Amino acid sequence: MTNHWVDYQNTDVFMVIGTNPAENHPISMRWINRAREKRGAKLIVVDPKFNRTAALADLYVPLRPGTDIAFLGGLMNYAMANGRYFHEYVAKYTNASFLIHPDYKFEDGLFSGAKVGEDGQVTYDTTTWQYQLDEEGNYKKDPTLQDPQCVFQLMKKHYSRYTPEMVAETCGMSVAQFLEVAELFTSTGRPDRAGNIMYAMGITQSSHGSQNVRAVAMLQLLLGNIGVPGGGVNAHRGESNVQGSTDMALLWNNLPGYLPMTTAAAHPTLAAYNATTPKSGYWTNRPKFIASLLKAWWGEHATPENDFCYEYLPKVDGRDHSHMSIFEAMGRGELKGLFAWGQNFAVGGPNVAKERSALANLEWMVVADLFETETAAFWKGPGMNPAEIQTEVFLLPAAASYEKCGTITNSGRLIQWRDKAVEPMGEAHDDLWIADRLFRKLRELYVAEGGAFPDPIVKLHWDYDDGSGHPSAEKVAFEINGYTWADRQGVTTFANLKDDGSTVCGCWIYAGYFADFENPKCRSRVKDEPGTGLGSHLGWGWAWPVNRRILYNRCSVDENGQPWDPERPLFRWDGEKFIAQDVPDFTATNPPEVSAKNPFIMMAEGVGGLWSPSGMKDGPIPEHYEPVESPFANKLNRRQFNPVAIISGKGEFGQLTPPSDPNFPYICTTYRVTEHWQSGAMTRSLPWLGEMMPDMFVEISPSLAAKLGVKGGDRVEVTTARGSLVAPAMVTPRMRPVLVHGRETEIVGMPWHWGYMGMFTGASANVLTPHVGDANTQIPEYKAFLCNVRKAGGSGPVRG
Amino acid sequence: MAYGMLIDLSKCMGCRGCQVACKQWNDLPGEQTTLGSDFTNPQKRSAYTWTTIEWLTTEVDGRTVSTFTKTGCLHCLQPACESVCIAGAIHKQDNGAVTIDHDKCIGCRYCQLGCPFGVPKYEYDQVVPRMQKCNLCYSRIEAGLEPACAATCPNDAILFGERDELLALAKERIAAGNGRYVDHVYGEHEAGGTSVMYISHVPLDLTTLNTNVTTEAVPSFTWKAMRQLPALVGSAAVLSLGLLAYSNRRARLEAEQRGGGAQ
Repeated sequence: MTNHWVDYQNTDVFMVIGTNPAENHPISMRWINRAREKRGAKLIVVDPKFNRTAALADLYVPLRPGTDIAFLGGLMNYAMANGRYFHEYVAKYTNASFLIHPDYKFEDGLFSGAKVGEDGQVTYDTTTWQYQLDEEGNYKKDPTLQDPQCVFQLMKKHYSRYTPEMVAETCGMSVAQFLEVAELFTSTGRPDRAGNIMYAMGITQSSHGSQNVRAVAMLQLLLGNIGVPGGGVNAHRGESNVQGSTDMALLWNNLPGYLPMTTAAAHPTLAAYNATTPKSGYWTNRPKFIASLLKAWWGEHATPENDFCYEYLPKVDGRDHSHMSIFEAMGRGELKGLFAWGQNFAVGGPNVAKERSALANLEWMVVADLFETETAAFWKGPGMNPAEIQTEVFLLPAAASYEKCGTITNSGRLIQWRDKAVEPMGEAHDDLWIADRLFRKLRELYVAEGGAFPDPIVKLHWDYDDGSGHPSAEKVAFEINGYTWADRQGVTTFANLKDDGSTVCGCWIYAGYFADFENPKCRSRVKDEPGTGLGSHLGWGWAWPVNRRILYNRCSVDENGQPWDPERPLFRWDGEKFIAQDVPDFTATNPPEVSAKNPFIMMAEGVGGLWSPSGMKDGPIPEHYEPVESPFANKLNRRQFNPVAIISGKGEFGQLTPPSDPNFPYICTTYRVTEHWQSGAMTRSLPWLGEMMPDMFVEISPSLAAKLGVKGGDRVEVTTARGSLVAPAMVTPRMRPVLVHGRETEIVGMPWHWGYMGMFTGASANVLTPHVGDANTQIPEYKAFLCNVRKAGGSGPVRG
Repeated sequence: MAYGMLIDLSKCMGCRGCQVACKQWNDLPGEQTTLGSDFTNPQKRSAYTWTTIEWLTTEVDGRTVSTFTKTGCLHCLQPACESVCIAGAIHKQDNGAVTIDHDKCIGCRYCQLGCPFGVPKYEYDQVVPRMQKCNLCYSRIEAGLEPACAATCPNDAILFGERDELLALAKERIAAGNGRYVDHVYGEHEAGGTSVMYISHVPLDLTTLNTNVTTEAVPSFTWKAMRQLPALVGSAAVLSLGLLAYSNRRARLEAEQRGGGAQ
């Protein structure tokens, strides 16, 4: 997130959309409640289901799954049309004034530059999305925001179609409800009020998920809520250390610290990679980060002469290697082996029955986990015949989080070191030990037997032994932090990294978290004096980057360095220096008029991106499209769903229901509950949690129950184009039909935590979900698809 | 220090951290359960589940309402259970906790019958069954800690402190709440006053609190009867003695009348 958890106490209006903090991040409610008690803050919840967060909300508004852009675009329209945006902030701190290419247009659901392929998929040539430049190569702007080609006017025109009536009938809320939210939330478009938008998988797990996030960010920029205390675009991460995982490049298309992944075609050499470095903004320092990363990995072998062993770094072959692609390749028999490391995709993956079957095509699979999960035991799954499965499965028992030391990075980018509390049970080992043993054995084999290209493995810099043959998490942390090669001194900031091979750094954004081996910053636990400050607690843990708690915080003060809201002075220029409550995201030694020109230092433009000229594959600004499976035709434009979405096409995984198919009339969505976590691998083996939530269930409204002739506890069968499941119905007014385009439409919801292993078993919701994904991130559309429901006969849970 | 708890239902989000914390601290086993009509589970408290959060989901004026009510022992100021316990096992401690001494409890279940809130529960599966209930984490509070549930609650929906101070705080919150709270502190007078009290943002019939409970201390009902006993026994004794004296005198007079002769 751009802000952080404790900062929530500074908010005036919360908008919770596509996240459920009371159920899934309960501690966050502490800070939300503090804001409500101390500052009279209001809590708005926008969600298909009246969940536990809605139960405490000041204002709850229903939303049809997949229609977030219609809603957020409607709020943008409301703000722009009614002047309820933060004028000075928008004019000075965003690209609202920038002029766009004269040939840019949006027509019939497509942006200019669309190339339609044979399969109907669209790719975009983004030339007409670019900024206009003058003869000197500077951005052409209209500071008055009136020019029809300026970003502000293009946005105003684009979202003028998102009237309250259009939003209401698309999203399933009433006009009055929409206006109530609009009035309350856009009241933060002022210097003295901060609005906080929190989101999670309800926003991201969509075929237009990344554009959903763009819409959140754009609304917050219009309202001047970015970089201010109590504001922010605040992602609630789905796992306790997924932030740490993505920081360390768990994703296939990243290198640590969100450096772009190297591709064979575009980056055959280091020079070619560095040629793609942005020409302005802080990313101009990228060559220092990649050089330091390579030096970390190949140590003494990495020299300027050999481009720091750049040739050893794997390069993407131009194909998609995201989750769905991996399974589709597995389904075609293209993969020999797989590591399932702390991941239980046999419950969590989309179209999961097909994904489980695909595993049977592997020659071998290694699973590292705490319990024998559905993935480890995929051959025991429903419909599997072990006699026909050749896969050799290795189950490595792994240590739990209290049985090992290391850091966790939370949603607020805060890194906290944790000590080991107890020894792992039996032969379980921590992941570091497992990785270390694996590497050492591989290296041994390569040294003994050679191979096609052994050097990248054999020459890896692997200096983690703690003296007793066990790898030291501290040594790994020190390398991630970075140090100068000559004297092995920890770097305290990425500003000290070099591109000449003299520095090492495993993840540039982490530089500073573990510079001091004995007393690393991520271990410190010093709170601010109670009753003082805005909750930065700079002495508690360490946040990336450079312990900055609120990103883009130059935006919290005006051109003269005075806080927009004197009651929440994150910074204040006193004539000579800035009095600071956070680490500045700008050069604080410069007079404020200078840093005012560059409030978003990571952006090439130096200002906030309302318009995204080249960052997104599917449009410079978001547009509402229906989910890939929808009961409705898109009324906002002529394209039904995101033209650039990833669709599986033909084959094993490609079962889809066409729009408005009467055989699948209901909208289906999946979600989580407090009592279970993810695929239930851990929680469904804990009696205190299982007794609270023993069984899989399907939540339906009383009206749908009446229609189906079903009462609470009766079994229902939910079917989609992918498969079906049977579970008891929970009939509850938490679920209600939505009135969309004049038609009452039922929504069926269910948690996805269950599977066939563990103490508490039940059907997996993901047998129903589609193999379709977002254009930019390939994240599957778990949140909105079509189903049918019928009474299945009998009542009570279905276990196994 | 007479402690108590204040449960502010407007802050409870039903996360059930309290329910799990109680299990963990008291080392209580998980029970076999089955999906209920809502999320409440176990659906009833028992010897092994001393506190639960009870869901109430309904519609009011077309809007969905969802409330979460923490249940458990209210640690009455004058407990019925203590009064009826024939083994003298139950005691309202100085620190406010109502505890059951399992060295004395004989499992007769009088306390289960006597409690207006259905709190004490029987160990049905034990060969030597005793009664179980929340003990306000007696050993924790004696050690200067809060009860496990209060310590866990992320929202401070469960506050622990001196009962009198919490009662004053509850009233302050209601007064300062601008209509946010129902003007009632549940437990101020219920059952003659309890150490665990509640305030609520919704009418109490939208929670699962028992609103049909007397405001008199429960032992006071038996006291009304018991109080008459000395006078009753005394009167009965006097009457009986009087009757005996009269009867003896009559026998003596009859004997004298038959002729002072032989006896």
